[in-house]
Formats: sequence, C-alpha cells, structure tokens
Amino acid sequence: MRVRGRSDDHEWSQQHLSHYVEGDLRPRARRRLDRHARGCVDCGRGIRAMRALVYAVQGLGGLAGVRAPGTVFDRVRLAGTGGAPSSPNA
Amino acid sequence: MRADGPRAPGLPETEASLLARAQAGDVGAFERLSSAYADRLFMLLLRLLGDRGEAEDVAQEVMLRAWQGITRFRGQSSYFTWLYRIAVNEANRVLAKRARRPAGVPLGADELQLPAPAALDPSRQAENSELRRALARALGDLPPPLRTALVLRDVEGLSTQEAAEIAGVGEAAFKSRLHQARLRVRAAIGDEALASTGG
Repeated sequence: MRVRGRSDDHEWSQQHLSHYVEGDLRPRARRRLDRHARGCVDCGRGIRAMRALVYAVQGLGGLAGVRAPGTVFDRVRLAGTGGAPSSPNA
Repeated sequence: MRADGPRAPGLPETEASLLARAQAGDVGAFERLSSAYADRLFMLLLRLLGDRGEAEDVAQEVMLRAWQGITRFRGQSSYFTWLYRIAVNEANRVLAKRARRPAGVPLGADELQLPAPAALDPSRQAENSELRRALARALGDLPPPLRTALVLRDVEGLSTQEAAEIAGVGEAAFKSRLHQARLRVRAAIGDEALASTGG
C-alpha cells in the first residue's frame, strides 16, 4: 500500500481548505484531506481558520442603517421624461 | 422553461405587473420595481468600490442602464439577478479605470465595518472591530474578480449558481475565484486573528 508523503499531501491540502469547507471536494479527495489533517497540526488549524474566515466575512453581511441615496433615480427621471425606454445593452 | 413574453411567469404578480408597466415606459413603475433592491444594491457597490461618492454615482448609472435596457429583460433570471449583474459590470468598469493608479484601492474600511455585537464584552468588541478592519483591507487588496466572488458568495450570501450568473462566469470558474480569494484573505489576516472570531 502506498502511503503519500507529507510533502505531497500537505501542500495539496493547504490549497484545498476552502474547497473542503465549501463541500466542493469529491469524496475521495475529502477523505485524502481528512486523513492528512488528522495528523497535521497546520492543516487542522487551517480548516478551523478557513471556517472562521467564512464566518467572519459573512458577518460583514448587514450594513445596518445604510440606505441608497435619494438621488439613485435622478438619471432615470431625467431620461424617463422623454417617454418609453430605448434599448441599448444593459 | 422559457418566458415567451415580456412578463416573467415566475415573478410575483406585483413585481410582474410593475415590470410590464416599466417595459411600457412607466418611469414610476420602474422606480417602484427597482427601489425594492436599491439599498442592497447600494451596499454591494459600497463593498465593491469602497468609496461612498463613487458608489452613489455608480448606483445612479446602474439604474439608468437598467431603465434603458428594461425592454430587453425577459425574465430568464430574476429581476434582482439582472440588476445585480448590471451593478457588478458597472463596478468592474470603474475598478478597471482605477487599476492604472499606483496606490492600492482603499475599500472604505470605516464604511464596511459593522458595529460589534452588543453581547460581546469590550475586549471581544475591540478584537472584532480590528478583525473587521483587517477584513476590509484584505478585501480591498483583492483583484476585482476575486473580490466580486467573495462579496457575492460570502458577504451577500448568494448561492454559487446565482453569484456565478451575476459575475458573468460559469460555476467552476466562479468557485475557483472564490477559493483563491479566501486563501488570499486568510493569508493576509492570519490564523491567529481568525481564531478570535469563535466561528
């Protein structure tokens, strides 16, 4: 049975932590990363860090109190006084 | 299923009727239709551009382009998706202009921060604020395609399918951008700072 060396699995795992957290790895690849992370402190920490990163970025989600400016339709109103919209590519 | 007429069959009646009237040239209907998404769209532009003045200018341009193109909207995507795609295209156009500038693009860290949750004790609030500033900086340092992917998927919480459609790329390409963006932001922030989130 071939046992992959750390130099092979470690770099690959580090590059696929986001895929792992996102659930984008195929079962075989997920098992590969799981197997490696069980014995690798760096990659175990990496998985936790990637989960924390996604959680933190999601926390930026609601800019409470931010509203679109009242001017947001000004150009539409100016253009709209001419009648029906024309059809350039949007 | 394809929509054969100007009205999208999947839309709620109010939105569908507003859309039909807007497509017939009713500016008021267009405003009512689009105003439901105006705040969220403005927040997206703030995150992508990081500058309130620029976001305001681009928001006006997005609405103008949507109005000018409304007769071409056929409901193959949701109106929201269509509007967001115009916004991302316009933001990218502005960011491409900026790319020639020698200095990094400020992302308006102050505007992008959320108040720390009140339930946190002061030391955790301080950590939280610091992390938010670091996140804002790291987002601002990303190349626009990666920033767009991270904002649409993780900040906006859109599905991969919808976010990819808005970004104008296939799902595989979108995921590749998202994963690259996360790796870069993680590297920029550091695992120690991330550990303080408790996420």
